[in-house]
Amino acid sequence: MNAVLRAWLGFFALGAGLIHLALVIGSPPALGVPLVLIGIAEFAWGVITFTAAAVPFARVARIAAVVPILGWVALLLVSGSAGVPGIRVLPMLVASLLDLAVAIVITVVLRRGDAAPARPLRSGPYLLGLAAGALVVAALTTPALAATEAGDLATPHGTDEEPYQLNLPDDHPGH
Amino acid sequence: MSTSPNRLLATIFGAAYVLIGIAGFFVTSGVGFFDTSGGLLLGIFEVNVVHNVAHLVIGAALLIAGLSGVGAAKTVNSVIGTAYLLLGIVGLFVVGSAFNLLAINGADNVLHFGSAVLLLAVGLGAERGTRTTATA
Repeated sequence: MNAVLRAWLGFFALGAGLIHLALVIGSPPALGVPLVLIGIAEFAWGVITFTAAAVPFARVARIAAVVPILGWVALLLVSGSAGVPGIRVLPMLVASLLDLAVAIVITVVLRRGDAAPARPLRSGPYLLGLAAGALVVAALTTPALAATEAGDLATPHGTDEEPYQLNLPDDHPGH
Repeated sequence: MSTSPNRLLATIFGAAYVLIGIAGFFVTSGVGFFDTSGGLLLGIFEVNVVHNVAHLVIGAALLIAGLSGVGAAKTVNSVIGTAYLLLGIVGLFVVGSAFNLLAINGADNVLHFGSAVLLLAVGLGAERGTRTTATA
């Protein structure tokens, strides 16, 4: 069972990392730099989690997973009704939920003991468990990515428009 | 094969993508090879001719690797998982644009991203330390 949970951790981290990286486009540099670092760290940790026999840096990762959430909440409180500039609510919310899932699953794994099971899980249940996690994360992450400023770069489906322009923070594009 | 997650996944995905590739040709009559909009498979997933061909090639590679052995299945699962991850990311930017040579839509992106992480998780995580020689 722990093998399935570790894979889910990888899925959650990859999804959160991709969303944080996508949020860089359109965000002010003061937020863009931390988002890049967080996104890369999450993505890399997710990939490492796939290959590791135990959750890598479990206790540190559990704390690190909630840092983006706390940071976003703090920014929301400071910004008030104006909202955090350049950080759209829906994708950041999905990324935060994925980070929260990382923290929760790490907690579960640590309580169960992250040692290799005496009897490895059979292939069928293992793959079904992974497929369920992959489907859920993909269904959450893909629309969240499309809802970012980066996702906005796509023109409406079915139309042939001019090649898109990079929507850099200093630009004021008219969509 | 049933004891190897990599072989099982590669074989199942391989067969599925071969069937998807074949089925795609039934919804792309009149659609050009690189048309940016195509037919809808199952009424959801958009494909054009080159997209169908890609499904056939990817499906064949996975199927052959799955039937070959654990080492081959791990390698192909990881490689195609990485390719699908990149395709999922690129797909977000090309949807609806003139660069959408595979006629990708939003549902395709979800499927590609889900397939990618599943293939990567199993290819990188399962049967670690397995040598490239075939096993039962």
